[in-house]
Amino acid sequence: MSRHRIVAATLGVAYLVLLLSTVSDLGYARDEGFYFHAARAYASWFSALADDPGTALEQGAVDRAFGVNREHPVFIKSLFAWSHRLHERWGLFEMEGTGFRFPAMVLAALAVALTYRWTARRHGTVAGVCAALLLAAMPRFFYHAHLACFDVPIAALWLLGAYCYARSLERGLRWSILTGLVFGLALNTKHNAWFLPIACITHVVLMVGWTWWTRTPLSRTPEIRRGALTLGCMLTLGPLVVYATWPWLWHDTGARLAEYVRFHWDHDYYNMEFLGQNYWEPPMPRSYAWLMTAATVPGITLLLFAAGLGAYLLRVARALRRRAKATVPVFADQALWLLGIGVALGPWLSDQTPIFGGTKHWITAFPFIAMFAGAAGARTIRLCRAVARARGGVWLTRARSRGLGVIVGAALVASPVVQTLHSHPWGLSAYTPLVGGSAGAATMGLNRTFWGYTTGSAVTYLNDNVPPGGTVYIHDTAWPAWDMLLRDGRLRSDIRGVGSVAQADFALYHHEQHMQGQEYQAWVALGTTAPAFIAGLDGVPVVMVYRRADATTDASSTAR
Amino acid sequence: MRLKPGPLRLISRLVLLALPIVGVCELLAHFIASASAPRSQDWAALERPLEALRREGEPIVVTPRWAEPLVRQQLGAARFPLAEVARPDADRFEAVVEISVDGDRAPETADWIAEQQVDAEALTIRRLNNPRPRLPRADFVDLVPRAEVRFGEPARRCTWNPNARVAAGGLGGHPTFPAARFECPGSVFFNVGVTVIADEHFLPRRCIWAHPPAAGDLVLRFSDVDLGEEIVGHGGMYWMVERTRAGAPVRLRVSVDDTPVGEVVHEDGDGWRSFALPLGDRSGREGAEVEFAVSSADFRHRHFCFEAVSR
Repeated sequence: MSRHRIVAATLGVAYLVLLLSTVSDLGYARDEGFYFHAARAYASWFSALADDPGTALEQGAVDRAFGVNREHPVFIKSLFAWSHRLHERWGLFEMEGTGFRFPAMVLAALAVALTYRWTARRHGTVAGVCAALLLAAMPRFFYHAHLACFDVPIAALWLLGAYCYARSLERGLRWSILTGLVFGLALNTKHNAWFLPIACITHVVLMVGWTWWTRTPLSRTPEIRRGALTLGCMLTLGPLVVYATWPWLWHDTGARLAEYVRFHWDHDYYNMEFLGQNYWEPPMPRSYAWLMTAATVPGITLLLFAAGLGAYLLRVARALRRRAKATVPVFADQALWLLGIGVALGPWLSDQTPIFGGTKHWITAFPFIAMFAGAAGARTIRLCRAVARARGGVWLTRARSRGLGVIVGAALVASPVVQTLHSHPWGLSAYTPLVGGSAGAATMGLNRTFWGYTTGSAVTYLNDNVPPGGTVYIHDTAWPAWDMLLRDGRLRSDIRGVGSVAQADFALYHHEQHMQGQEYQAWVALGTTAPAFIAGLDGVPVVMVYRRADATTDASSTAR
Repeated sequence: MRLKPGPLRLISRLVLLALPIVGVCELLAHFIASASAPRSQDWAALERPLEALRREGEPIVVTPRWAEPLVRQQLGAARFPLAEVARPDADRFEAVVEISVDGDRAPETADWIAEQQVDAEALTIRRLNNPRPRLPRADFVDLVPRAEVRFGEPARRCTWNPNARVAAGGLGGHPTFPAARFECPGSVFFNVGVTVIADEHFLPRRCIWAHPPAAGDLVLRFSDVDLGEEIVGHGGMYWMVERTRAGAPVRLRVSVDDTPVGEVVHEDGDGWRSFALPLGDRSGREGAEVEFAVSSADFRHRHFCFEAVSR
């Protein structure tokens, strides 16, 4: 096995181990609850397919299973189903929820490994390691990497699809076919995949433009021919893979596909707080994506990205001036990285684009940001060592020079690593020092949480304080997510979740600006304005529990 | 790597050489930012200075607002009664005690006069005096249990139930209907009780739930009220309801001793909007009868809530 493969595998496995070791602190996001339910339905169908394929393949059986959560494709949910089934059989994990989450974690590890691999191919091992670490140590990426959701999986598959496309420009048919297959899987993961062909088509157009500018005959640029072949594979194999692996599309294909597209094209605008204002309909703030990226990706990562991107653009500018020939392969990958970032963030140039999902909307850009940053990181290390050699003379031995490189590298990645580890399990509440951390962000009026997963941080309080058979208003926790906490054994089995604060002894409140009306409903219903429990990152409230006033012996809990 | 570059290359190399230092600086900034919010012992140390500065009935204002739950938790609900924490406005208080995390002043009381200030660890506590206090003579929200309520056409009496079934509407739904409320015929929505809504800034506002009927008026009649020079107040709905701007206007007509003194029309999108009705020759009257009549041309989804005082 080559050195690069060993390093990539090591980084990927290490990240997977880290994710597995930190997952038990994390509650379940709303969407995870829906996907657990869907995965169970698919798992039943897979069992039926094995036992009685004839019946399983009837439309009624297919529709019953895959009609569940049909507004989203099934590839990742199918992996959740298989993983959970294996966990049920062999008891692979400590908690049942991890049985569902594991495939997404594996894909996160794949993304880290592939980020290393691709960067190392272009810029060397050190750049690859820097890039992988900088991706792994983006707090929001780290948070999403734990979840049984689609966001990190699509980031991984988008990256893999782009990588396969880039390799196909050098190697031809095998990689072209692979790109088509991966594209199909990406389409069957999340609609961010729709943008992959845009990036690839644009890349082919850029290559054509380059040959025109440098007056290079097309016959001498096989990359363009291969790129076109790969696009053909994507546009033919991709839909075939989707059709083959998404049983819901086997019947009424056109209508169901149209329904799927319409769902996302006409998606409701959910609420999102930004700079103290609640946004629930267009126009959305055009600064959202840019400011949120600056506020959540460690500053040193972004500066390294800027340096890496700047260096690349300077080389392109020089080559343009010189009309340098035969440079297409040199620039091919970095151009694709830039396109990967551009198509991910580009939609937020429009004020019609929803913002309710926060940074996960453009999560497919993160690996490419990390790759530019990794390249700059390696240059920085090389430069520091060169300066030290020039000044240090014989004192700077090879070993000391390497040690210096390690120190410089550590200085570059330490802040992202520390910020990321510190953010757990409050991923969506974590903000960078640029905006004053969590407290600064709260003061600025940036969203502190969504998805109700922070119930996981209240379970100890609930277990310790809810009387036997007591009721808890679950607020923004989805029912399947609440149920999974019970099934995991993280919540006492006798604690009853209820859907109305009026019937509850205790009330959860996950803070979001537009949900504060529900906090006030709890005040009146439970007779107290004082939370009994507050948890959050760095002293900033994110999740609270109110306790019914007449359930306590403390007279000060009673409110008028 | 050669080290005798042109100017542009020199600049780019200087930038790269600075990046490790920037990385370390960001790490230090992270530690500082992570520790910038007050710790639990800082909140615990509030008790003594607060007792020295605050008098009963004076609201505690916390800035920035995200810190308020922490103060409520520390000090307890008794120091945050709904009338103060969900105040309709600050005008009706002579003084507040402000707790500031970052030393800044709260926007609501920015021009109030700081009488005293205590710096307690990570917090600044100030006693602020209202330069223009408008103290109420009668608060109709407090008087709800004494009211007489009629509903609809033909008008039917609504009965006071101190132990009704509490109901809450959840996200986008109605505010909590408290246990103590008037219950009117036709639907659980037709009731009169004191609750709290979230206004257009998602601030809490204590008010009287007053859903208009399909036909006729919802009438709240208060007897034996000592009046000031005007009746002032606010009307609104949970912002999640009225922001869609899809509902019909709600009319609030006010009369004193069966003589109209004014009308307020609330339209969707108005938010927590204030009104002021001068009482003219009825100013200062004691033992007056004051009526609030709520109606709408289309009663559907009219989650109207109002508060009023006479001052």
